[in-house]
Amino acid sequence: MNILASFRLWLCAVVLVAVAAVVVTPSGSTWQSRVAHLESLVRCPSCTDLSVAQSTQSSSLAVRAQITSMVKAGQSDTAILTTIERSYGANILLSPSTGGLGVLLWAGPLAVVVGATAIGLRLRKRR
Amino acid sequence: MKRSIALGALATLLVVGALSWFLLTRQPISASSVQSPLLGKVAPAVSGAELGGGTFSLAAHRGDVVVVNFWSSWCEPCKQEAPNLSTFAWQQRAHKVFVIGVVFNDTVASAETFARYYGSLYPSVIDAQGAIAFHYGVTSPPTTFVINAKGIVAATLVGPTTVAQLTQVVNRVAQ
Amino acid sequence: MTLVWLGRISIYLACFAALGGIGAQVLTLRRGTPSRALLWSVVSLVGVASAFVVMEFAFVTHNFSLAYVAENNATFTPLLYSLTGVWSALEGSILLWSLVLGGLLSAVVVRYRREASDPVVVWATLVMFVVAAFFLLVMAGPADPFVHNPAHVLQGQGPNALLQDNILVAIHPPLLYTGFVGFTVPFAFAIAMLATGRVHERWPLEQRHWTVLAWGALSVGIVLGSWWSYQVLGWGGFWGWDPVENAALLPWLTATAYIHSVVVQDRRGLFRVWNLSLAVATFALTILGTFFTRSGVLQSVHAFASSTLGPVLISFFFVTVGLGVALIAWRGDALRTATGVEHPLSREGLFVANNIVFVGFAIVVLLGTVFPLLYQAINGVQVTVGTPYFAAIAGPAGIFLLALMAVAPVVPWRSVSGATTWSRIRTTAWVSLATTVVLLLAGVHHWPVLVAVFLAVAAAGAATRTLVGVVQAARQRGDLWSAWRAPSTAGMVVHLGVVLLAIGIVVSTSYTSRSEVTLASGQRTVVGGQTIGFGGFAQVSNALEHQTQLVVTVGGRTIRPAITTFNGRSSQSVGTPAIDSNLLRDVYVTFDAIGQNSSVSGAQVQTGVAAGSVVLGVTVEPLLAWLWIGGLFIGFGSALSMGRRRHRDEVGQ
Repeated sequence: MNILASFRLWLCAVVLVAVAAVVVTPSGSTWQSRVAHLESLVRCPSCTDLSVAQSTQSSSLAVRAQITSMVKAGQSDTAILTTIERSYGANILLSPSTGGLGVLLWAGPLAVVVGATAIGLRLRKRR
Repeated sequence: MKRSIALGALATLLVVGALSWFLLTRQPISASSVQSPLLGKVAPAVSGAELGGGTFSLAAHRGDVVVVNFWSSWCEPCKQEAPNLSTFAWQQRAHKVFVIGVVFNDTVASAETFARYYGSLYPSVIDAQGAIAFHYGVTSPPTTFVINAKGIVAATLVGPTTVAQLTQVVNRVAQ
Repeated sequence: MTLVWLGRISIYLACFAALGGIGAQVLTLRRGTPSRALLWSVVSLVGVASAFVVMEFAFVTHNFSLAYVAENNATFTPLLYSLTGVWSALEGSILLWSLVLGGLLSAVVVRYRREASDPVVVWATLVMFVVAAFFLLVMAGPADPFVHNPAHVLQGQGPNALLQDNILVAIHPPLLYTGFVGFTVPFAFAIAMLATGRVHERWPLEQRHWTVLAWGALSVGIVLGSWWSYQVLGWGGFWGWDPVENAALLPWLTATAYIHSVVVQDRRGLFRVWNLSLAVATFALTILGTFFTRSGVLQSVHAFASSTLGPVLISFFFVTVGLGVALIAWRGDALRTATGVEHPLSREGLFVANNIVFVGFAIVVLLGTVFPLLYQAINGVQVTVGTPYFAAIAGPAGIFLLALMAVAPVVPWRSVSGATTWSRIRTTAWVSLATTVVLLLAGVHHWPVLVAVFLAVAAAGAATRTLVGVVQAARQRGDLWSAWRAPSTAGMVVHLGVVLLAIGIVVSTSYTSRSEVTLASGQRTVVGGQTIGFGGFAQVSNALEHQTQLVVTVGGRTIRPAITTFNGRSSQSVGTPAIDSNLLRDVYVTFDAIGQNSSVSGAQVQTGVAAGSVVLGVTVEPLLAWLWIGGLFIGFGSALSMGRRRHRDEVGQ
């Protein structure tokens, strides 16, 4: 039991397991996983919160068929999303593009992290 | 010590005040306020086999005002709208206005039955795989697009239309 | 017509009593007259309760002379859905809100009746009278539920289709409202403590008790809401990051932060200003939530129809925050303590981290919810902020919180050495690692799942270790039952519930498989590891609805997904999913489409499917049931907390 008392040993074991997990994680994207990923980013045109992956509405099925054919035709993710945006408008994407004002959306969490670190440091200084 | 509280209080008040004023001045959403991104742009292609035989191509109708109507046999408002579209198509047959339907996610058999039942006086294109609906960004039938003589999308109507509404819109577009 | 006036008079009475209560409390504060709060609060409650009973009566007797009844009820609506129909739409929901508020106000007055002349109690009841008066005035004016229906209709529209499909419509709204309205009490006490300057007495502890009550109700309410969505909406999911869902989440997040940081105030007297701010913020966020749900400014499946209430609610929100902030700025300096957090690796240090994550996450959720409005105001373009954004933030936040839960329960106050901490979590740490290795070998290669399970087991271990310690201490004292009432028991049970919830969420969202299968009658197929068979159609009708059911077998069991057409509201058709659930996985089946030439109303017809065949949507979600079990634990833990003695010392700690 003594050997298990070592923190360092446990930490090494954790690192080993983490490396093993990374190694065995299926890498590279098959076209199916690309399609699935893109489908999760596009809103079902006739619903409010769902992605086309989750909805079985006819408009979703049309979008999914198009995404599949565009992925098979070798188009890039950005090109596919742009084509979809052109037909349905910007609000068809479930996460606004990071260009322009969209950067504010991600600046928010970043500001929170920065603020949290600042608070942590300030509290530390106080003692 | 007191300064940090006062500063925090002031900052909070400003942010919350700005947020409150912003939300106060927002308008409630209405369905009609959503505009099609295709307005003013070149109309995507509409081509394919027609119900009952023949082929259609939008390009061949350059110079006409084309009314493109997306419909399905399972959609209730489409049943309401179908006779109006036929009446309108008949009235406009000599006025360089062409009405074309596009079948939206439906079987050929059901669509043909529907068209026959409502005595459709205009042709409808079969939309394989929903490609045409996709390029037009149709979220639910019935949706109508009015394309002017130059091939630009000039008006979009979501929901069942009437003869009066179509006539008014087409007259405005034709000018 | 009599019902209209009966209802209206009840509301006016309640309103008058609330205003009277305000006046009476002001008099007590200024001139020391004995407090009449009990009388005024009871009269107000009687008024609201009468109005509620009148409305229920109108619904149950299908009295369409009230416009609200004509819109939400029909002659064939069953009793249960008539009773719940009262809160299915905007005006009735405010009636329910006022009823819960009136009840809570009376409960607070009765609870502290022996100290009724204490300025803190007087201020607190004053604030509650003001909030009650606000909602009652809203009901007397812009959101009047008792509007007369001039047309003589023989039939009403019936409730919304999705609100007459499931019994949870009777449980979720009242619980949710108990949660929301419950946060009025800590807010009232916060204002009272600030106004009187008395923050160093037992009032924060009282405040915490009420907060846990509200928090428990809200937690269970939110979980039940997810369960309800899951059962009826047809997409197999339970949370859509919908604006109204987010609006309910926001006060829950700040309340959770508050529940933790108030423990630090209790033990070491720190964070007084912060805790008061959190109490104010939580209440303000419930008002903001009512704004999002009722103003029509954001599009949502859960929103009530838009109304003129938007400006009124947002103004109340701002006044609430302004008042709280002003009072804190005025009194703030007197509340500051000289000591602080001594060491980051201490219970208080980790609670600071907890607060930062919860409040930070709340800020981000608020930003994401309001962002489409901001974007449209500046760019004129409509955008959507949905699951991809929120999930990207919630993931790391959840991981961090699980890590905190794994360490904080074993870390003592003030400070601790790394070595001591390690010696306490050693066993759990190895068990976590072993579990992860087992999963890795078993084929789980999705690293978010591995990380989540690793931390979840550690968190469960920390909670279990604490509970074991509590039981051992109770046994030594010879009183095993006192273990239920020990301070940490409730919290650790809740933590276990959160761990179950977290595992359920991570595993089900990572390994959900969706597929569409086409089956002819009598055919069977294997999809997602499950054997699905289609046995034929069944038609079921009653006064309320007509259902076309499919007889579907999953493994050995039969379930019946259907398409339901409700009489009334322009014959709405909705899909009714069917679920085969066990501890390992849920199989979620929907009736998606039917073969050609079929005339099942409401069913989509699909190309290339033979007549008599059906298209089923089959979603297999592993460990989904763990979510609901986790919710049960959370509710149970909160209930345990209610049974606790008020003071630590009384339990002999």
